[in-house]
Amino acid sequence: MSVTRSLDELRQADAAAFGGKSSTLGELIAAGIPVPPGFAVSTTAFRAFVAEAGLDGMIAAELGRMAPDDVDSVGAASHAISQAMRFAPVPDAVRDEIGGRYAELGDDVPVAVRSSALGEDSQDATYAGQQETYLWVRGADHVCDAVRDCWVSLYSPPAITYRARLGAADAAMGVAVQLMVDAEVSGVMFTCNPVSGDPSMVAVNASWGLGLAVVGGEVTPDDYLVSKVTKEVVREHVHPKEVEYVPDAAGRGAVRVDVSAERRSVACLGPAAIEALVDVAGRVETYFGSHQDVEWAVARGGELPGSLFVVQSRPVTALPRRGDPPPATSAMALVMSAFGAGEKKRN
Amino acid sequence: MAAPSTVGSFPSPYEIETPPGCEGWEDMYPYYARFDEERREVDGQRFWFWNSMHFPLPMPAFDAICIDSPYQALGNWQNRVFAVPPAMGIDWRCINGYIYISGNPVLDPEKIGERAGYFQARAGYYYEHWDELYGKWRTKMEALIAELGELEVPALGEYEPDEVAFADAETGYVAVLSAYRNALRLIDVMWQHHFEFLLLGYGAYMTFAELCKANLPDIPDQHIAQMVAGLDVLLFRPDAELRRLARLAIDTGVDGAFVEGRSPEEIEAELAESDAGRAWLAELETVKEPWFHMATGDGLYHTYTSWLDDARIPYASLIGHIAALKAGEDIERPSDHIAEERERLATEYAALLGDEARQGFEQLLALSRTVFPYVEEHKFLCDYWFLTEWWNKIREFGDLFVAHGFFEDRDDIFQLSRLEVYSALDELALTWATGGQARGPKYWPPIIARRKEILERLAEWTPPPAVGAVPEAVLDPALIMLWGVTTQRVHAWAQHQEGGSELTGTAASPGVVEGVARVVKTVGDIGDVREGEILVCSITSPAWAPIFSKITAAVTDIGGVMSHAAIVCREYALPAVVGTGRATSQIKSGQRIRVDGTAGTVAILE
Repeated sequence: MSVTRSLDELRQADAAAFGGKSSTLGELIAAGIPVPPGFAVSTTAFRAFVAEAGLDGMIAAELGRMAPDDVDSVGAASHAISQAMRFAPVPDAVRDEIGGRYAELGDDVPVAVRSSALGEDSQDATYAGQQETYLWVRGADHVCDAVRDCWVSLYSPPAITYRARLGAADAAMGVAVQLMVDAEVSGVMFTCNPVSGDPSMVAVNASWGLGLAVVGGEVTPDDYLVSKVTKEVVREHVHPKEVEYVPDAAGRGAVRVDVSAERRSVACLGPAAIEALVDVAGRVETYFGSHQDVEWAVARGGELPGSLFVVQSRPVTALPRRGDPPPATSAMALVMSAFGAGEKKRN
Repeated sequence: MAAPSTVGSFPSPYEIETPPGCEGWEDMYPYYARFDEERREVDGQRFWFWNSMHFPLPMPAFDAICIDSPYQALGNWQNRVFAVPPAMGIDWRCINGYIYISGNPVLDPEKIGERAGYFQARAGYYYEHWDELYGKWRTKMEALIAELGELEVPALGEYEPDEVAFADAETGYVAVLSAYRNALRLIDVMWQHHFEFLLLGYGAYMTFAELCKANLPDIPDQHIAQMVAGLDVLLFRPDAELRRLARLAIDTGVDGAFVEGRSPEEIEAELAESDAGRAWLAELETVKEPWFHMATGDGLYHTYTSWLDDARIPYASLIGHIAALKAGEDIERPSDHIAEERERLATEYAALLGDEARQGFEQLLALSRTVFPYVEEHKFLCDYWFLTEWWNKIREFGDLFVAHGFFEDRDDIFQLSRLEVYSALDELALTWATGGQARGPKYWPPIIARRKEILERLAEWTPPPAVGAVPEAVLDPALIMLWGVTTQRVHAWAQHQEGGSELTGTAASPGVVEGVARVVKTVGDIGDVREGEILVCSITSPAWAPIFSKITAAVTDIGGVMSHAAIVCREYALPAVVGTGRATSQIKSGQRIRVDGTAGTVAILE
């Protein structure tokens, strides 16, 4: 059985088998974007896990009796399925394969384990309930546990409600496992200004530590608007950043700590980081041919631009409409209307 | 300073008091320039702003011709020729010697529609034939400058010359009177030419800027300006010639004469002692015509003379350039870089747009580039060359008055209005002809002395940036295009009546700098600017280019991203905030300030 692939071998066509996130990471690598190395676990592994544990019937039964509009009923079904899954073993074949891939990444290295849902790219918001990420995971057993936890998230209350409403019976989940970036700074950027819709800007949100704080909305990040054309920072707002996520001292998992007082109100991005980010934003946008929402991290102790990594990218789906676009008229007609002479003609 | 009656309002123009000792200032100006009782109901409800861009100082009586004549011309082209649909012309009033202006809107939709027809036909013709018409314009302007040069102010001697007796020549007194009338005619013609292309030029640019902002809402204004601005424009030639002369001085070994603190006369005296020095001076002479017709400031006052009249600015610049060259610095204007950047920005922004928007972008950019040479070059020909020569021509009439005992100094003529001058000239001609006793020599000197005193005192007074009603919106294209007076700007003024430690304006050239402020209110203050200081002024002029190599940032009271301060600051890569409304009144020389040319703010730090 082959249920894993190296990330750099994946392309968009593999999305059905490996989920959106893993296949997008493969595309990013193909585009020459710096992405932490890693591997993907296919939906086949998930299906094998459910089948070997004999959970098919139980899951179907729980979902069948659930009332999708009743919060308590959904919660009960989710709880029952999740508990059953957590106590079910990951099949040995899957376990061995993941262990082998993990060993290739290094000796007891920390990794990030992220769910890679089907259809994730296009329906991001609706899949919010199953976007699980486990950071700073070490050791093959823990990696397997984290993979299983990702699978479990497929049965979170919002996820099952959503599927029930859609009438989608079949559910499956891929998982991406990547070498952990010890992020000094991380955040999100859009390859346009999502507020104004300006395509010449890159909008960057950044905060100290791992990306959880920004993605989870736990800090008000520093906010930069940077011109793609000149790389100038057009607007910049530095906010006090109260908390950050750092690796647990025990070496497993990430913990939330207070940002030290002297770093709190300091801008967390310098010119070199901004330049590297804008460069990457342009390449990602060009490669996918659409505006992208990119999660990124700058590794501690590294040197830019080499220390910048992209950990995720998805299309920006809903851009604001920018007023009324000027009608398709000549330059002269536009000049005339600037002088208030655009409509009526002399009799 | 006039305190506002409520927050978010401007003082009433009728409530502003005359500063002590300035009583009678009104007599310097035409009767129609006052906020008079007859028009109170209308004038009190209009929005008036201090035109500190053109009139940062109290107006001498004669210089008011540079209000009437340009506003006649602007109104004529905007209202009577092109019939810009929503806006007629600009009215002006005077408060304590300072000039406030207000636009006349067209509100009747039917009228607007009627005007639109005229505008489309007439402006369309201008845009379509721009290069041809602008070529003709250049010829007209050059002919006008030549005509001014040929205008003679005859002396009135004891007897008329023989030609009058034997060759039917014009009599001296008629020649004097007609020369004066002719001088007044020439300045009217100059302003007529000045405004022929102005609105259409700025309008094309504004439309391009609006298209950019509709499709690229966050594009910095300076990028728009960079894509349009000309490369090889007249305005940059004078300083380019000075850089060339600086290199020549070093190459020929005469650079030792250029010592900081020396006067132009001292430098020229030393140069005259050697062959190489004399050769350099000969080269300087070839440069002077026409490049020293650059003005010493960007102003419509008689005090703004040319580099020919006052060589301190070009020599200060030469000293600076030579010192920089010797220190191994590159003093060249990075024109290759500017040219490349201009094309790169245009290409990259175009590539970011959809097909439809890109087509409009490219057409408007091309149109803006077509019209822009006028926008940049009319300054040199009209405001600098013609105007500095014209003031000198008026000084020749001043000499005539001095010769006949009317005035003590030739510049005293500027304390009389142009009509008072005509009246005095009439008396001079009369009494010269009759041999009778003139009243002028007793009548004018006390008036002149009193007006000088009033002007000095008025210069100490700080005018509010605006008076009258706060408009809901500024719609007049001329106010927006020429003065950068937008709705947003006006509302910011209204809210910042009390001042405060932060001023906001237009982000005109990016970067953040902290330093010591130097407030420059008149061209005479330019010499006080020290290395590393931040220039704070009403508006800068390209004529001040030499000091831009000394300063670290610039702040102005008025102006938009296309103002010359903004253009020059971007050239020199200095942060600039323009259009703050009151920088020169809020900031004192010596204060530490922080200029954020990216955000458009100026903070007073102490």
